[in-house]
Amino acid sequence: MGWKAIHRWLGLTIGTLAVVLGISGAILAVDPVQQAWQAPAAPDGLPVATLVERVTRTVTGAEEIRHLPSGAIVVFSFDGDQPQASYVDPADGRVLGAWQPSALPRWVKNLHRSLLLGDAGRWVAAGTALAMGLICVSALVLLLRRMGGWQRLAARVRGSLAQRIHVVAGRVVLAVLCLSSLTALTMSASTLGLVALDAGPEPDVASAVPAVSALSGLSALSALSAANGPTGQMALPSAQLVLLKSLTVQDLRKLNFPAAADPKDTWKVATRQGQGWIDRYSGQTLAWQDATLAQRIDDWALVLHTGEGAWLWAVVLALVGASVLLFWLSGVVMWWQARRLAPHITGNCPLAQADVLIFVASEGGSTWGFAQTLQDALSQGGHRVHTSALEEFQTLAATQQVFVLAATYGEGQAPAHASHALEIIARLSPGATPVPVTVLGFGDRQFPAFCAFAQALEKTLRGQGWPALLPLECIHQQSGQQFARWGEALAQALGEGLVLAHVPRVPTTTALTLSVRQDYPGADGKGGKGGKGWQRGQTTAILRFTWPAQGLAARLRGHGLAHFDAGDLVGIVTPGSAVPRFYSLASGWQDGFLEICVRQTPGGLCSTHLMGLQPGDFVAAFIRTNPGFALPRTRRPVVLIGAGTGVAPLAGFIRRNDRHSPMHLYFGGRDPARDFFFGPEIQRWLGEGRLATLQTVFSRVPDGGGYVQDALRRDAERLRDWVTQGAIVRVCGGRAMAQGVAEALDVVLAPLQLSVSQLKAKERYAEDVF
Amino acid sequence: MSKPLLTLLAAACALALPALAHSRQVTLTAQLKNYGGDGAYLAAYLTDAKGAYVRTLWVAGGKAKYHKHLSDWSRLSAGDAKRLDGVSGASVGAGRALKVRAELADALIDAGYEIRIDAAAEDMRDSPSEIRVPLSAANAGKPQAGKQYIQSLTFQLE
Repeated sequence: MGWKAIHRWLGLTIGTLAVVLGISGAILAVDPVQQAWQAPAAPDGLPVATLVERVTRTVTGAEEIRHLPSGAIVVFSFDGDQPQASYVDPADGRVLGAWQPSALPRWVKNLHRSLLLGDAGRWVAAGTALAMGLICVSALVLLLRRMGGWQRLAARVRGSLAQRIHVVAGRVVLAVLCLSSLTALTMSASTLGLVALDAGPEPDVASAVPAVSALSGLSALSALSAANGPTGQMALPSAQLVLLKSLTVQDLRKLNFPAAADPKDTWKVATRQGQGWIDRYSGQTLAWQDATLAQRIDDWALVLHTGEGAWLWAVVLALVGASVLLFWLSGVVMWWQARRLAPHITGNCPLAQADVLIFVASEGGSTWGFAQTLQDALSQGGHRVHTSALEEFQTLAATQQVFVLAATYGEGQAPAHASHALEIIARLSPGATPVPVTVLGFGDRQFPAFCAFAQALEKTLRGQGWPALLPLECIHQQSGQQFARWGEALAQALGEGLVLAHVPRVPTTTALTLSVRQDYPGADGKGGKGGKGWQRGQTTAILRFTWPAQGLAARLRGHGLAHFDAGDLVGIVTPGSAVPRFYSLASGWQDGFLEICVRQTPGGLCSTHLMGLQPGDFVAAFIRTNPGFALPRTRRPVVLIGAGTGVAPLAGFIRRNDRHSPMHLYFGGRDPARDFFFGPEIQRWLGEGRLATLQTVFSRVPDGGGYVQDALRRDAERLRDWVTQGAIVRVCGGRAMAQGVAEALDVVLAPLQLSVSQLKAKERYAEDVF
Repeated sequence: MSKPLLTLLAAACALALPALAHSRQVTLTAQLKNYGGDGAYLAAYLTDAKGAYVRTLWVAGGKAKYHKHLSDWSRLSAGDAKRLDGVSGASVGAGRALKVRAELADALIDAGYEIRIDAAAEDMRDSPSEIRVPLSAANAGKPQAGKQYIQSLTFQLE
């Protein structure tokens, strides 16, 4: 069982108990906070003897003084037959009011430590603490794995909302939760009697009752004496007790007065360091016991676990305690999401009879969907196909072809279930007549290690001598189009008719209404300036949509359009095609409209559909976040590089630059008269200070400046300046353009000993390519 | 759980078998007040005419961690390694009663011996020597009030 399984199953099961303990613990933190401002603390260095003197003046029949962890002084006394407990001001001994041990009902504490089940419940609570400790340790391992090591621990968290909540909150409170579990175990160990705290039995001590004559010299002090023995002998006033003079109230825990009814009774004082007994007549210290190491550890555990006497810490503990509910809820949602995406392959042929084997390594589960599509297509072609998880990798006599569909997790790691797959494959020998093993990677170019696991698989397989039917192909962001193209190559290689029409599970869509469209006519077919690359009718349009009003109830149920920022993606589902097309958003939710820039691609189903829309028409859409590309809040310089319709998300960034961060836009087009998208707005934003500088280049006009990478090379000096200031770079455009920009920037940054891949690793450089 | 009933044989046997013929059974009943806290820890024990510890009759409350809060008993009985042997049970809830039965030698009655009970409850005030009752035939059957936790303590001689 791996760390992930430990974390998941402990969390889902014992986590429910941990929620009860967390919430009740959070409530219990009320006490230390409330007590912190209940009564004044003792001034520094106040001797215990002085405190006793003040208390005996103001409180009759005092029996015990307690110095609470909050710093307050409480005196227990008897007023006749009535037991009293009062707060006392240590500065003058004034009685401040009655003492209440807790503002909370008893059952809260009992729920927290024993689930109201007595000793059996204490064992359950201790077991829960142990499980919580294991959950914390496994969480740390998973966190490091997910983030890619200690250095990247503070990096931005990607994933679904539940995942982000779980990981971000976990990063913050993990250490405190772990500490709470550990201290809970310490306290349980002493309460359940597994550890002895006491320094052996207490000494048998008694005050030595003196003969009356021996005390005659002290009779003058009798007026001061507050603790006269019943036999008439004079007890020594507290001011003359050496031990009490040497101890300060800061260290004091408890002081018991000698009982009036028992002439042999002693003073008993307990401090952080230990406890001592004092003869009431001679003032001599009769015995002293140092606190044991176990006792000191227990004292510390108590403070760390309860926040007693440290109200700020108590507030932290309360928040952390309450956060257990957050972890549990988000954890359940994550588990549910993973379960929904869990693989269930239909029409699987038994392994031994299959001629085609498909092995899958999937993190979120979506790769299994692609495997199913491949399995269905091959089965239709008459193959017997068996699909299973990558850790099952093997070939049998009947095997003719093997396909490995592998996603990458975090920093180029294998998905959890396939973590040992590489070792397994490295140990296998392909045999005398090796069958071809073809690798198809799945990943996201936003991540620094795009398809790194697929590449590692490819390398290992080739190293072991397995041939391949097709070279490694890496699918970006689960692109159905790219998968279909790979399918075409596969059909050719196999010499069979094969179509891979992958239908991903499309999220619920919302009907958006087109409100405004702005058309860029493109080439007019007359030739002329820069005409030859243009195709007739290849027009572009900026489309602005509105979404229907959504009630709060609908939003809470997860219906309606998700919130989005510029740079996120909108998936458009065209009638007649189940494969959504994604467009970068040029606006955010705050703008109140949803804007995209669409170029007509020849024969493109979706773009044709969109270009045919008239204001008032509807389109089915959903939001997909693009967290790696979205712009963080920053005051650092932002370098935006876009070509053609790729300027859309960059325009969205500038539009929302209310803080006037220094944004610098490099825009590459073909002809300012035809494809300077968002041109008038960009000019206006320049005037408003939302955009600091603008460089435009147009490749199809004389003296247009060439391509955007040419502009970057010309501006090398300024770019180096901005990058030195910590600039964030965003690039949006076609793949060739993004590659050209990266190459140009590598040259520009070389004098700084920096490269694009280094910036990517620091999350300062991200691309959105199409 | 609140009314543990016990027969104290081990200690009596230790005193000496011949004494068995001259022993009497004592039944202690301690009724607790509704003091509004968790179950009370109680230690009932016997002291002699000089106030020296003789033996423990019963300790209610099983967590050794908290026994130091029964401070008189804890101190006086420190030398008795077997002070808890066969004479301990669960703590006693507020408003409940504790009933303890013990064999005592005849010679202890009316000889200056005292029954003492220390009491404590979590987060509340410790009450060493919550109650002290002389072990005399005259006191038998007469309820006596404790300082903080005990509504009434009665012992019966049989």
